[in-house]
Amino acid sequence: MALFVFWVLISASFEWIHLGLGLVFSFAVAWINSGHSLFVPKFRLWLRILLYLPWLFYKIIESSLYLSKLILHPALPIDPQLVSVDSKLRHHAAVVLLGNSITLTPGTITVEVDSNKLIVHAMDKVLSEDIESKQIESKIADIFKDEEPDL
Amino acid sequence: MDILSIIFIVAGLFFMIVAAIGVVRLPDVFSRSHAVSLTDSLGAFLMLVGIAFHEGLGKNTLKILVVLALLYILNPVIAHATIRAAFRSGVKPWQKKSS
Repeated sequence: MALFVFWVLISASFEWIHLGLGLVFSFAVAWINSGHSLFVPKFRLWLRILLYLPWLFYKIIESSLYLSKLILHPALPIDPQLVSVDSKLRHHAAVVLLGNSITLTPGTITVEVDSNKLIVHAMDKVLSEDIESKQIESKIADIFKDEEPDL
Repeated sequence: MDILSIIFIVAGLFFMIVAAIGVVRLPDVFSRSHAVSLTDSLGAFLMLVGIAFHEGLGKNTLKILVVLALLYILNPVIAHATIRAAFRSGVKPWQKKSS
């Protein structure tokens, strides 16, 4: 269904031939990729992730301003460092979400992931301490607390 | 509405310029890619929101929202891929000399 909406957006034409082709192809792709189990209900998980996004966005703005200040500072007071983080997350999806959140926040980038150990590159002390305080991780652990562990 | 979109676009431009300055000033691959991800996460976001305000509600704004969602999915993937490639091929991160 989402694929079909995407098709309509991209093709931007509402003639029958285009709509029909899009419908056929989007259902074919969905069917091939689904492992024949469409519509698995995980609404609660998705809702929690959706509620987590505004907070992440606030963090992005906060650290963007901080990083801009660092870059524009005449003395360039940066102190890059690699930090190794052991997360307690027990889901592949949770680790992916954590890594993406860290990378999406300017000033910190996930360098390497190995099951649930992450190596993070941070621009200076303040940002690396922010990672080590595990604020993001505890939020994500909250999201996934009702799911079956798979890691 | 136009004033709002101009404000957003100018703010986006500010972050893009900061990112460009950062790419020139910062010492190595790792820290430069931080600057680049600043462009994607706030620069492009603010500009696209500005354009969406300019367009008003409609098909084009919907497309802009899709572009934004894709951008926010792809940005961390690309940054991570670049940095991991650099890390695995043995590039040493720049460090402050005095420490």
